[in-house]
Amino acid sequence: MSLEVSDFTVAAGTTRLLGPLDVTVEPGEPLCILGETGAGKSLLAQAIMGTLPAGLSASGRIVLGRTRLDDLPVKKREALWGRRIAILPQEPWRALDPLMRGNEQVAESHAIVAGRSWEDAHCRAEADLTGLGLPVASHDAYPGVLSGGMAQRVAFAAATAAGATTLLADEPTKGLDDARRDDVVRLLRDVARQGGILLCITHDVAVARALGGRVKILRHGDVVESGSSETVLTAPQSAYGKALVEADPVNWPAVEGMSGESPILVAEDLAIARGGRTLVEGIDLSLGSGGRLAIAGPSGLGKSTLLDTFAGLIPPASGRVERHGSARRPLALQKLYQDPPSAFASRVSLKAGFDDLLRRHRISRETIDGLIERLGLSPALLERRPTAVSGGELQRLALARVLALNPSIILADEPTSRLDPVTQRSVMEVIGEIHREADTAVVLVTHNLTLAKRWAGTVVDLQGFAKQEATH
Amino acid sequence: MTPMRILGLLGLFTLALLAVIGPDLIGFDPARQDLRAILVSPGTDGHLLGTDHLGRDLAARLLEGARITLALTAFAVASAAIIGVALGILAAWAGGLIDGGLVTLSNGVLALPGLLLVLLMAAIVPDSWWTLYAGLALTLWVEFFRLARTRSQVILRSPAVEAARMMGLTRSHIVRRHIWPDLASQILSLAAFGAATAVTALATLGFISIGLRPPTPEWGIMMSELLPSWRIAPWAIGAPIIALAITVLSLRLVAGPETELEA
Repeated sequence: MSLEVSDFTVAAGTTRLLGPLDVTVEPGEPLCILGETGAGKSLLAQAIMGTLPAGLSASGRIVLGRTRLDDLPVKKREALWGRRIAILPQEPWRALDPLMRGNEQVAESHAIVAGRSWEDAHCRAEADLTGLGLPVASHDAYPGVLSGGMAQRVAFAAATAAGATTLLADEPTKGLDDARRDDVVRLLRDVARQGGILLCITHDVAVARALGGRVKILRHGDVVESGSSETVLTAPQSAYGKALVEADPVNWPAVEGMSGESPILVAEDLAIARGGRTLVEGIDLSLGSGGRLAIAGPSGLGKSTLLDTFAGLIPPASGRVERHGSARRPLALQKLYQDPPSAFASRVSLKAGFDDLLRRHRISRETIDGLIERLGLSPALLERRPTAVSGGELQRLALARVLALNPSIILADEPTSRLDPVTQRSVMEVIGEIHREADTAVVLVTHNLTLAKRWAGTVVDLQGFAKQEATH
Repeated sequence: MTPMRILGLLGLFTLALLAVIGPDLIGFDPARQDLRAILVSPGTDGHLLGTDHLGRDLAARLLEGARITLALTAFAVASAAIIGVALGILAAWAGGLIDGGLVTLSNGVLALPGLLLVLLMAAIVPDSWWTLYAGLALTLWVEFFRLARTRSQVILRSPAVEAARMMGLTRSHIVRRHIWPDLASQILSLAAFGAATAVTALATLGFISIGLRPPTPEWGIMMSELLPSWRIAPWAIGAPIIALAITVLSLRLVAGPETELEA
């Protein structure tokens, strides 16, 4: 049995979004579809499931084993869900019912989809979750208190409870930190090892590399490269394939540690707390003017809170943060945000916000236009609203905006975690170049340890300062 | 803009136009009685909609009533919106005691049934449109306050506003670029809902003879005056009822589905 998609296209009216493409997934050999956001990757998974959004039309053949899926009536396709074919959604904590305990949701699949008795279903749910390595104590937890990796395992158990051996994983690692990402990859690899059919859609080269099997690289709806994961990911042929592989932080050129010159930001025995609970403590660090400091650590450890403490937005739980020299000026500290669109007023043109900034601080239009062009953008972008500009462009505009104020320190809070790898690389590069030109120090906070190491040379791993109770 | 909303706006525009220029076109004085021609059918002797029980031209009275209703409603809703939005932003911004005080005040107003407040004021100072206006505005500001406060709280906590503050941008920037554009999209709906409530409240009060007094051609007053003759002249009482229904319907269409307000 295998999954075969042949001569397949998806179109919106007369605009082709995906294909024509041929995809074959054999049992036991995972297939990864790699590509940037908007490359049409998710459409493939939706088309296989039969959940393409209204208004899109698909043509071609989709065959699973001996069943042709694409011309099955809706009812019959739905009957396959969970029984033969299952989807592992992105951001599973959103796909799970927040008001229902994890084991109940898995048992529901056993009872309703697989038609087992409730008693049997509950037993099997417990066994499934234990089998996936979820501690017994967390079986009956609500999804809200589970970590991303744990939630993904509950979602996996619920999706496959009725015996589906074909699994479509749509960006299964989105929003997870390195450790949790490896968890999910292990889970997926086991599916393939046990002879299941696995189609994984991702923009993370590291996931494709860890899964092995075959890889297809998609761009603007076309397959630009395909082959075994070793060949494609070590020696890509296409220009986009090369860019994608190079964009993986593992392949970034290493830099020397750059702690900067005279110290301008010093933390001594700093502890931070959120909601009355101490998250990390005993932090001592120092950043010199023009230097780079990277702080890494898993989600939930207070990285953003730490940045806000540096910025003086919240007081430290204990210990001290001191600013020296030029960093003592007003406006000397500026921030870059994780989700670029949320950092701009959403309902007015970008120009309106920039104009207010220029007027307020008597900055000339030439300065800001020059900065925008230096960052590789056109000032014409400013006519648009933030929703009509891509994440990478917005993050550059955010950088231009703060650079216009000539800050001493830029605090960057996961500035690229919502961007695809190629954009991530170029944004980090441009931050790197420009902070040297402008003699501005940068504090980078990220969940990606590799990226932190490659970009700053040295990394402060926040895990080492975690208060014992706070770690899971 | 949905077709339904456009239909509602068209209806409102027509009503407003009729209220402004209509009374001059009719050529009858809405207060002039003609006891030789009472309750004549529509179309008789130039009376477009006939006459009422005192021989006054119904069309002229109806349009004069539209003037009163629309003007009072527009003033009351506009005042309520300005007060409510300003206080809402203030409460979200200041927090603490100011926020607590304003929320308590607004909850106090909410605890009274809307009409009761207007009724109370109208009972103290009868036959004055000032009391109706003040009563309506005092009832209606609460919804605007609650919307503005809730939305402002969310926006003031957003990264966009944090960034604006770190970049030294002024309060006026935050209100003009961040808060106001967000509120503006919802205020039209809320204002239309409020106006529909106000129009109904005015007619209700007129009908039970509180607030404005005869011979003012207010729609509610007209309904109660014409009620005794509904068997002989059903079109006569029908006129203000239909006018009221069209006005409220147009306003509800402009407001759109209530679910939109939650977005």
